[in-house]
Amino acid sequence: MSALQPQLDEIARRLRDAADAVNDSAELEELRVRFLGRSGEVTLVRRGIGALPPAERPDAGKLINDAVAQMEMVLDAASARIARGALDEELQRRIDVTFPAPDAALGSIHPVRRIIEEIAETFERLGFATVLGAEVEPSYYTFDALNIPADHPAREGFDSFFITPELLLRPHTSPMQIRTMQQHRPPVAILAPGRCYRRDAVDARHLFQFHQVEGLLVAEGINFGHLKGALAHLSRTLFGPDQRVRFRPSFFPFTEPSAEVDTTCPKCKGSGASCSMCGGSGWIEIGGAGMVHPNVLREVGYDPAEVSGWAFGVGVERIALARYEIDDIRRLIESEPDFLRQLQ
Amino acid sequence: MRLPLAWLRTYIDLPDDVDAIAEKLSMLGFPVESIERKPTISGVVVGRITALEKHPNADRLQVCTIEIGASKALTIATAATNVAVGQTIPVAQIGAVLPHITIAPRKMRGVESEGMLCSAEELALPAEWFEDGIMQLDETLPLGTDVVTAFGLCEPILEVEITSNRADAMSVLGIARELAAAYGTTLRSPSLENPGSEAAPTEHAPQIELRSSDCTRFVAQRIEGVRVAPAPSAIRIRLAQAGQRPIDALVDISNFVMLEIGQPLHFYDADAIPHAHLIVRDAAPGERLTTIDERELELDARALVIADENGVQGLAGIKGGAIGEIRASTTALLIEGATFVGARIRRTSARFALRTEASARHERTLPPALADAGVARAASLLATLGARAFAPVVVGDAIPQATPIALNSLSVKRLLGIEASPDSIAFHLRALGCEVAVEGEQLAVRPPWWRRDLTQSVDLIEEYARLEGYERIPESLPCVPATEVSSARYRREREAAHLLEALGYREVLTYSLVGESLLGALAKGGLDERSRSVEVANPLSEEQHYLRASLEAGLLAYLARRDERAAIFEIGHAFSRGESTVLETPTIALALATESIEEPTWQDRGFMQIKRDTFALLARLTGRSISAVSGEHRFLHPGICAILSIDGRPVGVVGRLHPYLAQSFELARPIYLAALDADALPDYVAPTYTPPSKFPATYRDLALVLAPDIEAAAVERIAREAVGADCVGIRVFDEYRGAQVGADKKSLAVRITLQSPN
Repeated sequence: MSALQPQLDEIARRLRDAADAVNDSAELEELRVRFLGRSGEVTLVRRGIGALPPAERPDAGKLINDAVAQMEMVLDAASARIARGALDEELQRRIDVTFPAPDAALGSIHPVRRIIEEIAETFERLGFATVLGAEVEPSYYTFDALNIPADHPAREGFDSFFITPELLLRPHTSPMQIRTMQQHRPPVAILAPGRCYRRDAVDARHLFQFHQVEGLLVAEGINFGHLKGALAHLSRTLFGPDQRVRFRPSFFPFTEPSAEVDTTCPKCKGSGASCSMCGGSGWIEIGGAGMVHPNVLREVGYDPAEVSGWAFGVGVERIALARYEIDDIRRLIESEPDFLRQLQ
Repeated sequence: MRLPLAWLRTYIDLPDDVDAIAEKLSMLGFPVESIERKPTISGVVVGRITALEKHPNADRLQVCTIEIGASKALTIATAATNVAVGQTIPVAQIGAVLPHITIAPRKMRGVESEGMLCSAEELALPAEWFEDGIMQLDETLPLGTDVVTAFGLCEPILEVEITSNRADAMSVLGIARELAAAYGTTLRSPSLENPGSEAAPTEHAPQIELRSSDCTRFVAQRIEGVRVAPAPSAIRIRLAQAGQRPIDALVDISNFVMLEIGQPLHFYDADAIPHAHLIVRDAAPGERLTTIDERELELDARALVIADENGVQGLAGIKGGAIGEIRASTTALLIEGATFVGARIRRTSARFALRTEASARHERTLPPALADAGVARAASLLATLGARAFAPVVVGDAIPQATPIALNSLSVKRLLGIEASPDSIAFHLRALGCEVAVEGEQLAVRPPWWRRDLTQSVDLIEEYARLEGYERIPESLPCVPATEVSSARYRREREAAHLLEALGYREVLTYSLVGESLLGALAKGGLDERSRSVEVANPLSEEQHYLRASLEAGLLAYLARRDERAAIFEIGHAFSRGESTVLETPTIALALATESIEEPTWQDRGFMQIKRDTFALLARLTGRSISAVSGEHRFLHPGICAILSIDGRPVGVVGRLHPYLAQSFELARPIYLAALDADALPDYVAPTYTPPSKFPATYRDLALVLAPDIEAAAVERIAREAVGADCVGIRVFDEYRGAQVGADKKSLAVRITLQSPN
């Protein structure tokens, strides 16, 4: 056994003691240089190999290398200990997480658009396309093609703003029915949202401009049950899973049979008891609907014996009022920042 | 239409519960808009004043002795002044409940009073339509009859909406008919047989001349021995309940028949019509008519009139004239019951703004047979008052027999989605008065004369569904076949809204119809929008006179309402005058109200912000690169305005609000606007992927000293051309003006990025 081993052990012991005492990485680096550096203690020992007796020389290199490996492990362990110590210090940090964060710079979508989007999305999932059209329409698309000839008393119901005797602001989105069917052969499944205009005096429930979403499905084998199903589905999407719809007979020249469509009052859930939203009936009216009148189908060149279809029109503002419990329809068009913020 | 439940009950047995009846009507297609409930009244009976004397202790009171049938006579003190011996009047006995009081025995100045005589008001009838004081009843009414039940005074009044297709339902009987079909009960229709069979003497026989085919039928009848006096109580009370003021027996019967069976009638004083000769014709130009309510109308050939040999007697189907009207002296009547082409009546009524109960019915085109029924009913009622009815004279086409409509029961299932047996279809249609022949699946259906709206099979399917109940049809979701219609425009609009939301803008709505307040503010700011704006022919107010020519103006008005930072947008249509039509531009408009900041005149941070946002929006919407050149726009500051284009095509503008407009809208903050023409935006192009070059990129920054009018875009263009193919990025990133470059110069810093692609 050479004298080399005890010497190396002694160096290693001192390194270990020193490393245990070190608490920052700069001092540790100093240690590394002092022991393992270019002129460190181990290097000095290595340089002394030539002075050893020839028999010991072959093993000396290996002994030194082993000792260096051991010492490097000691240094690495110390380095790891110091590094974690710094993280432990970081772990002591505490901030007040309840301190208010600044508001994000997001804008908002108008509640009317949000309702339109929900309706469109509901029907797009069923396979409908969503189309947009003009707001100024010839009376042909607004009335004549929809089975409302001149002098039909129903024209009065659509109390319209006229530009010329033949040109008016659309009182409903139904012109898009005609335009779409004239451009496409059946089947046709569209949704047409948009602004409409009627000469209504403005009050808490009425505006002279409003939004309507028209739905139209014409194909083989479409019946009234499908209309009820589609509007019940829509109503549940908008107001919740327990929603029911009620169809009451009505009259629109462009559909037959025709119906007014009610849905369970979302506020009183249909109980009606002195409800301010539904006036106690338990229902709120959301629009009109019906099977497309054969005269309308003939007008666009469809054969009523081959295809049938339905159409509906729902009032977006009316849905928004019920959905968000808005007290006055004018708030929608006033679009006050506080109103938009609350409903964003 | 006001529908007194008491009146309805005279023709049909109905449940007690008015809400159930209202629900039934709603589910038949006659929505009940309101229910006017009456106060509880009880203990009021028919009495007769048999004696009357002055109150011993009070000048203004009288003491009446009143017989009320079997029980002993009552002594009642009254302050009413219209009482007289022999009158038949309503008496509230002790214990009676009236709207505001309960009758108790009481002493009136020492006289024990055993009840109260009632006025119309105390019976929940409109006081101003009846006698001042105590209400007078028919002397034929048995004494002791309960007045409340006899006239249904506590029964509610329904306000029912009648859709415009149902000419037949504009009457109490019409609604009763519907309810009878729905409840499956019997209808007690009044007799519609005309009591007059003997022809009137030649000199009085009505001579009717139809010179216009817009009158489809004219029934005229002479009635003699009439007297202008109050109508029977039942008629007066029914009219009042229905909202029609009672006048006298003749006018009231005419109104009663109209409300009861739906046929408007006109009663002429027979002595005022020379030779009983009536003519239905177009008015002569300039012809004048003074209506019963003393309106002067100047007519022309568009108006259809009823005339006699001397001139116009009335506007056909709308209103009568003053000349032939009933007077106190009238003893003989000429009754007119006619039907017309509804459109003609509607046009005239709209033109003269004369909406009457008659025109509301006639404009729906009444069935010709109703004219006969109406005149017959009036003649019967007059006959019960002792008048003598001569035979009616009828002019016009024969009443057409409705042609049978073929209906296949399978088509009912096809349209409704429920099984419908031929028998069940026949059952419902017969309940509505149709004659139905069934042969296998095939039905031949002849609608009743009053249902002229039933003309094709789909009309019958609707009737079946209505009576069967829409609630019987089960809900099912359709399986929608694939269609070729594109949602592209909607998708783009939706995406624009969502991008703007992400960019921090709030969506607002503004009015599409604008008026003086907005156009005036624009004009004050030097902008004449009126000349480019489309006019509305029939606005409700001056504030709806024009279609908006821009969205920007509405956004400015919105911003002017409050002085605060704002980022808003609206997506909507702007309208302008075209050659012969209206040009409509779907527009995306943004507006930004920022804080005033100190900055050199050649810089504008607010502009850069809205330009940044607009570029981001356009780039995402189209997938293409956007370019901006300085330009002009009527809303914008001429030196801070950029025209945006894509592939050389202008798509919009962005800039700072023109200072004149800022002043006229009283906008103190810096305002920036952008307006994009959604239809001008090219389709979205999907990007393609290029793998990264294996060569590193490098860049050079240059500072160029330039004349101040040389724009960044020009520098970038020239640099790009000069550097050539390896130039992968050019961007001007700083501008400097000041002493270091001299007064008439500026410095632009530009970064050129170079990279070899392979």
